[in-house]
Formats: sequence, C-alpha cells, structure tokens
Amino acid sequence: MNLLFQQVLNGLTLGSIYGLVALGLTLVYGILHIPNFAHGALYMVGAFASYYFMTDMGLHYWLAMLLSGVVVAALAVLSERLVFHPLRNAPPIHDKIAAIGILLFLEAVIQMLWGSDFRRMASPYNGILNFDGLIIPEQRLLIIVGAFTLMLALHLFLRRTMLGSTIIAMAQSREGAFLVGIDANRVAMLTFAISGMLAAFAATLYAPINLVYPAMGHLVIMKAFVIIVLGGMGSIPGAILGGMILGFAESFGGFYLSSDYKDIIAFSLLVVILSFRPTGLFAKGAH
Amino acid sequence: MKTLKALGLAAAAALAAAQVGGAHAEQTLNIGFTGPLSGGAALYGENTLSGLRMAIEDVNAAGGIKIGDETYKVNLISLDDKYSPAQAATNAKRLVKESQAAAVFVPHTGGVFALQDFNVADDFLIMAYTSVPAVTRQGNPLTVRIPPEFSNYVSSFSDYAMQHFGKKLGIAGATHEYAKIWTEMMSQTWEQKGGEIVASNPMDYNKSTDFYTGVSRVIAANPDVMFVGGASEPTGLVMQQARQLGFQGGFIVMDQAKLDEIAVVTGGLDLLEGAIGVVPLSEYDNEIAQAFVERYKKAHGKVPGSEAAYNYLAFHALAKAMELAGSTEPQQVRAKMAEAITAMEPQYNLYAIQGMSDDGGFITPTTMAVVEQGKIVRKAVAN
Repeated sequence: MNLLFQQVLNGLTLGSIYGLVALGLTLVYGILHIPNFAHGALYMVGAFASYYFMTDMGLHYWLAMLLSGVVVAALAVLSERLVFHPLRNAPPIHDKIAAIGILLFLEAVIQMLWGSDFRRMASPYNGILNFDGLIIPEQRLLIIVGAFTLMLALHLFLRRTMLGSTIIAMAQSREGAFLVGIDANRVAMLTFAISGMLAAFAATLYAPINLVYPAMGHLVIMKAFVIIVLGGMGSIPGAILGGMILGFAESFGGFYLSSDYKDIIAFSLLVVILSFRPTGLFAKGAH
Repeated sequence: MKTLKALGLAAAAALAAAQVGGAHAEQTLNIGFTGPLSGGAALYGENTLSGLRMAIEDVNAAGGIKIGDETYKVNLISLDDKYSPAQAATNAKRLVKESQAAAVFVPHTGGVFALQDFNVADDFLIMAYTSVPAVTRQGNPLTVRIPPEFSNYVSSFSDYAMQHFGKKLGIAGATHEYAKIWTEMMSQTWEQKGGEIVASNPMDYNKSTDFYTGVSRVIAANPDVMFVGGASEPTGLVMQQARQLGFQGGFIVMDQAKLDEIAVVTGGLDLLEGAIGVVPLSEYDNEIAQAFVERYKKAHGKVPGSEAAYNYLAFHALAKAMELAGSTEPQQVRAKMAEAITAMEPQYNLYAIQGMSDDGGFITPTTMAVVEQGKIVRKAVAN
C-alpha cells in the first residue's frame, strides 16, 4: 500500500512542476499565439538567479525565490518588448525562430557566466517525513503545496481582478478586447511577466532536489510542450490536468512497468488522447 | 550547391590563412579534439579538454615538440560534437582534412567507434578516452585507449560487495551506450560469482527529470547492493534518493562516476557509506598526483577529475612518442607509444602507467576505493 502512495506522491511532485512550467507556456500561447521555446531557458535562468541570491548573496530561500521571480519576469517582459513585439506583424515562423534565438542566447550567457558545472542549491527544508513507512522529503511536500498555492493564486488573479480579466478577455477575443479599450501592449507584458515568474518559482521549488546547470531547461520544456498540446493550446485547466497526467504516467509507468519505458508510456498517452480529442482535452475552439 | 561549395572553400581558405598568420615563422602541429562542449554533457567535455590544454601549455612553454630537426608548437583545435557519434565523425573529418591533425582525442565510446570506421583510411591516430574493452579488442591499429578497461573493476567491485553486503543486487545504472555495456558485464559477473539480481531498472541519467520512481522500484525488491552510475552528479542524486527511501546496503559505482564528485552532490560522504568505486585522483597520496591537483586547483578553482588527469598524461605520452618516432606519421607514433610511456618524465605520469598492451591500451594498475566511516579508503585489488 505504501508503495502505491509513494508513487502517488511522486506523480504529484512531478505533475506540479510540469504543470507550473506548462501554465506559463500556455498563458503566453493563449494570448499571443507564440510558442515560446525560450520558456525552458527562463526556467533555467530562474534556477540560476535563485542559486546566485542564495549562495553568493546569502539570502533566505523564500526571498531568493521572490527576487528570482522578479528577475525572470523582467527578462520575459524584456524579451517581449525587444523581440516579440517588433515581430507582431511578421509571419508566425519569425516568432518561432526568434524564440529559439532567445533560448540559445540565454543558455550561452549563463554558460559564460557560471560555466557548465552542475550545481546544487541547498534548501532549508532538508528533513524527511516518515509516516509509518511512507517517506516524504520535506522539499517534495513543499513543491506540491507550493505549486497548488500558485495555481490557486493565478486562478483568483485571472478571475477576480480587473487586471486578470483583461488577460482572459484578450485570450477570448482580441478584437473584442480592443473594442472595450484594453491596452494590448500592457496585457502582453503582463502575460510574459506572469509566465516568467511562474517559471522561476517552479525552478526554485524543484532545484533543491535536482541539479542546476545550463541545459536543465531542455528536459522540462519538452514535457511542458507535450502537456499544452495534451491539455489544449492556451487552456489553463488543460495545463494543470495535462501536467498531472504526465506526472502520474511517469511515476506509475516507471514503477510498475519500467523506467526505460516511462517516456514511451507518456507519449503513447498523448497519441491516444489526441486521437480522441484532436485539439486537446480543453480545446477553446478559438484557433 | 555551388554557393555552398564556394562558401566552404572560402571558409577553409580563411581558416588556413588564420593558421598561417598565427604561426609566424614557427612550425605548428595541430592536434584535434571532438567532444561534448555544449548540452548536458558539456562539463564532461570541458573537463577532458582542460587536461589536454594544460599538457599542451607544458609542452609549448618548454619550447614545443622536437620532431626530427624541427621544433613544433602545438595548437589544439577543439570542436563540439554534443556527444553525438555522427557529429564526432564529421568533426574528425574536418580536423584531419582541413587542419591536418595527426591525432584526434575523443572522450566518448560512440564517437570512438564512429571514428574507427575511417581512421585507418584517413590516416590519423584516435586517442580514445573510454574504458570499454571492445575499443581496443577490435584490433584497430591506429587507436590508443587511455584509461584501463573496466572489466577489472567489475570483478573486484563485485567480490568486495558480495563479501561485505550480500548477494542480492539491484541494478539502477544508466542507459547510455557505455553504461549498457558495463551493466551487461556487471550482471554476468555477478551471477557467475553466485549472486542474484533481484531488480533491474536502468534509468536514463541524462534525460530524466527525476529518479525517485526508478529508485523506489529497485528498493522495493530489497537488494543488498545497488549498482549505480553515470555522470557523477546525477549518480549522486540517485544515491541520495536511495538513502532517503531507506536503502542501507552498499553501492557499486560505475567508473564514470567519481566518489569525490558524488560527495559534492550528496553534501558529504555520510550518505555514501559502503560505496565502492574507482579511486579519485584527489585520493592518490603520491607527490606527482598531488602536485597536479594543486596546480589544477589554482588554474580552475576545483579539484581535477580523472578526465583531466588521464588526458593530460595521454598528451604527454603522445608528444613523447612523436619525439621518439621523429615523425608525426600515425603508424610510427603508435609504434613508439609503449616506449614513450616508460621514457616520459615521471611528473607527467599521474597514474603510474606501466606501458601499453599490443592492442593499444595503456596498462594501468587497477584501483578500488570504498567509503568507510565517512572516509574514502583505498583497497588493495587482487589482479
């Protein structure tokens, strides 16, 4: 029984991280219709920023996470202003190429500054909880709780605040949003800021149980893309549910079948779901 | 196609011009390197490269390599292959055709195999940094294998683990080419010695976001000993998570991972009690190794691993062999390699290598280290 719960916990941990990263990706896609390939690099920069604030400046974990969120949000906004905004009238392929450009640029900069060494980021939550044989390291619990808190906060922000509603409005209809006087530039910047912040938080939550290095974004972004295709491009509940599906597929598949096959299981699931719902679980039908 | 060709020619011409321009009146000897310099294995590639660079600095500072009547300054040309055998092959072609590199250093098995397809025809020496036995057993006449074959480790590690921990082995190794060959030999040896394999769950160390699930699967089978290993850092994560999940037995650590580097990830040696692996260079107590460690620390701010050290000594051996052969002709250089190892300055021979076997492998004494009471302890190995 414990083994089963252990896998549920693993699935939740993985699903939480995947979901957070996918949320940022789907937000940007839903509003600007840009597949932001650089999102994984933002995630990586988030981990390095937290690492810098914690080890070099000696700040507390939570403070480092907050500052890292601010830094990466600023970086995301900057990339929107300098790269995606000027390309708004260009064919979509230009956005994609530009996004890959940003990805390579950020990775190269980080590798130049920190080198390609693997680093470890210590978190103050090193303890291990043991509930009658069910083992939960504190950091993993923190990831699950943190991710759900962030998802709830995002939900409340989008649904209950005026500012958040502008994002939803833009996602539903660009023209309609313009008609009621919503400033598209502001919404775009806001969306990028939120997606960057989510990536940084996800990275800071996950880094203590993993390694910090310049290529760390590749693994997660790959999964995040699968998730938003699975959940429906631009759908927020789709990103969360998709993240959980993938997380659970990996943990249960990896445990009951084989770790060798866990990616195959996850991707077969993608194929099956897409053959029944070609636009993903929560398609919006808008595009 | 035409423009492409023209571009290629222009690039080659520019490269050639740059080399001539840089060389002044001195003669320059090009040495090639292809390895991962970006992506997940970038650190590994850079570590190997750092050892080569240090050796080349030594040689150039001493005036260069004296081959026949001429003295050559050495110029290292390094290309990134992102760990891909196909890219390694393309790089090697470029190094040999464009830069006339006499030898190409390759730090990964897939790359070595890819180069062995054409190195005899294209006439260049492969300096292979991999301990897969097949690299030399295939009989390629222009290959030099730098580290020892891992078959010696497999047997002695198994003996020790069985004696101290028990006969049930759980396999949680990696899935890349090198690890697969290791795992196969490990399983065979373990069973030959009368042990039992209770779980086999290799994981992709380079592409997994998390190991918790895979590790818990192995631990669910209650092994006495766990076989782990890929690059040191993910190996550290696997071992840490195994301990978190309550595993108390011993670890057999594949030689790619080094105990001292793993300890950095796990935050000390406490979690590694009972881990069996190769002796990290930093634990060699002779003066030569210590002097190298100190020098490396000053230059790079960290303790060198065996990647740096083995490639460092391999370049010195190569330089000596060229001197002895009086030529850069690969066949002649390779023929003098065994002699070069005994003739080279002792301060370069960090691992006390005794010579080279006929099939081209450096002969290195097998070593073994075990973590006992929070310390890395060297153990004698029956050869």
